[in-house]
Amino acid sequence: MTTAPQLEIRDLVKTFGGVQALRGINLQFAQGELVGLIGPNGSGKTTLLNIIGGYYAATGGEILLDGMRCNGRSPVELARIGIGRSFQVTKVFKRLSVLENMLVGALALPGSSRREAEERAMAVLGSLQLMRLAHQPASGLSGGQAKLLEFGRIMMLHPKIVLLDEPFGGVHPDLKRFMYDRIREWNAGGVTIILVSHDMGSIFGLCQRVVALSYGDVIADGLPEAVKADPAVLEAYLGDHHAA
Amino acid sequence: MTRPNPVTLIIALCFLLCLLLPLGGIADYWLYTMTIGFYYALLASSWSLLVGYVGRISFAQAAMSGLGAYVALLSAQYLGLPPLQGILIGTLAAGLVGIVVGLLTLRLHGAYLGLTTIAVSEILRITATAEHQLTQGTRGLPAPPLWQGIGQTGYYYVFLSVLLVSLGIMILLLRSRVGLFFQAIREDEDGAASLGVRVTLWKVLAFSLSTGFAGLAGGIYAHFIQLIAPSMMSMQEMGYILSMAVIGGFSNVVHAALGGILLQWLLEALREIGEWRLVIFGVIAILVLRFAPNGIFGSLEKRFGRGRP
Ligand SMILES: Nc1ncnc2c1ncn2[C@@H]1O[C@H](COP(=O)(O)OP(=O)(O)O)[C@@H](O)[C@H]1O
Ligand SMILES: [Mg+2]
Repeated sequence: MTTAPQLEIRDLVKTFGGVQALRGINLQFAQGELVGLIGPNGSGKTTLLNIIGGYYAATGGEILLDGMRCNGRSPVELARIGIGRSFQVTKVFKRLSVLENMLVGALALPGSSRREAEERAMAVLGSLQLMRLAHQPASGLSGGQAKLLEFGRIMMLHPKIVLLDEPFGGVHPDLKRFMYDRIREWNAGGVTIILVSHDMGSIFGLCQRVVALSYGDVIADGLPEAVKADPAVLEAYLGDHHAA
Repeated sequence: MTRPNPVTLIIALCFLLCLLLPLGGIADYWLYTMTIGFYYALLASSWSLLVGYVGRISFAQAAMSGLGAYVALLSAQYLGLPPLQGILIGTLAAGLVGIVVGLLTLRLHGAYLGLTTIAVSEILRITATAEHQLTQGTRGLPAPPLWQGIGQTGYYYVFLSVLLVSLGIMILLLRSRVGLFFQAIREDEDGAASLGVRVTLWKVLAFSLSTGFAGLAGGIYAHFIQLIAPSMMSMQEMGYILSMAVIGGFSNVVHAALGGILLQWLLEALREIGEWRLVIFGVIAILVLRFAPNGIFGSLEKRFGRGRP
């Protein structure tokens, strides 16, 4: 990488009691990258996203955003400085309408106007083919639509970096392809995307770079073909029953 | 545009009728019952503001009313203030205690939060009982009328206005973006935080508003019944408030308020059976929770409100 990294992770360690979920991870992400993060179950993918997003405090190491240390900041602050994230188990506001779900983040930004937010929300819902559900309660959405709504809510924040945790879990193949296009579009607009999935087809089809974790360590980082063929990656997956 | 819901219209009409009721030569006894109904309505609706919208449970609403009442009377007595200023201080004190309790219970949920608020409530009640010197304990603390010469009709209108203005403030707040943040927090705190919603701020604000309105209710109530005792902070009182909100419908502050008025009527009508009233209310509340979780009025509104053009 020639340019300075947008997001840099240095010697990141996270322990839960006796469990070492991350064992000193170093990673750099340039602005506009679309990076896949893979690894067997329990390898630390979600934990890494949770620390970048401010949900967990790191046990050691640091995270730099545009060269500034940002660990210790709350999820709220991080959302406001441009880190958006989706959740492995969707956190849609079920008793709010789809449109209201979209408005929450936009209106939480200081100085936002309700009318502009509503207009933009409807436009984004249109691009996600959720427009006709705008006034329905979000509880009625299918699993895949809920994932799309999470995309939409994040888009309303104008994020610089987006962390997607298993966005394709339980999603119908047609809808998956629709999601690929949205992710590509988003990325083409300059947004950095870190995509966690154990859906290898999706990861290798979408990403220009893949990072593999195993037992809290980075075991491979590079072009998709190289990572796919890496003996360490093959071994990590063969040794794990849960691998996709 | 949506067609106005007939049930909503009827509810609005009921409040309008309330404004005219004293002009109809109603017996003072029923005006008195309605006045107390307005007191409970404010407690039930302010409780719903916290529980129904933000999803935070509290069993301290009766205690906060008592806190507002005692602080109102004692501050007026010791500082030589008129009742209205005492009530203001009582309201602020309850709101302040709400901030403190809100901050202390920030990370607690469900049963832990509920138990903590019960503890807070009991601490306040027992303090009011034990501090004879200040509160005259269970003998009760006498209070002057709100102003010289105020009669039953005067109190009726004071309580009704306070209720309507409070409900108006709550509705304005809930219809603003703050209401949206409250509900997002209720649905999923982490999800709300991930979108930049200041979860801590809004949770504490909701707690404080809820206790502040309870303190206001308690303050005017003290000058109405003119003798307050620690029993107004009991779990039994809390049980009534809870039943009122649940039966009326605690996902809407107006429905909860109506529940308060309705059940106060029933409380009077069923006076003969004494303590059994709480049992009956409890059973109805359980049935409502099971079969009509939006409460009576919420269910009616849903039932007759399906007709968007
Ligand atoms: N909140 C937590 N408390 C305790 N252990 C956790 C917690 N979150 C994750 N872990 C542990 O950390 C390890 C990594 O988990 P996770 O990051 O969820 O893996 P992945 O997302 O790659 O499947 C696992 O051993 C898991 O049990
Ligand atoms: Mg995971």
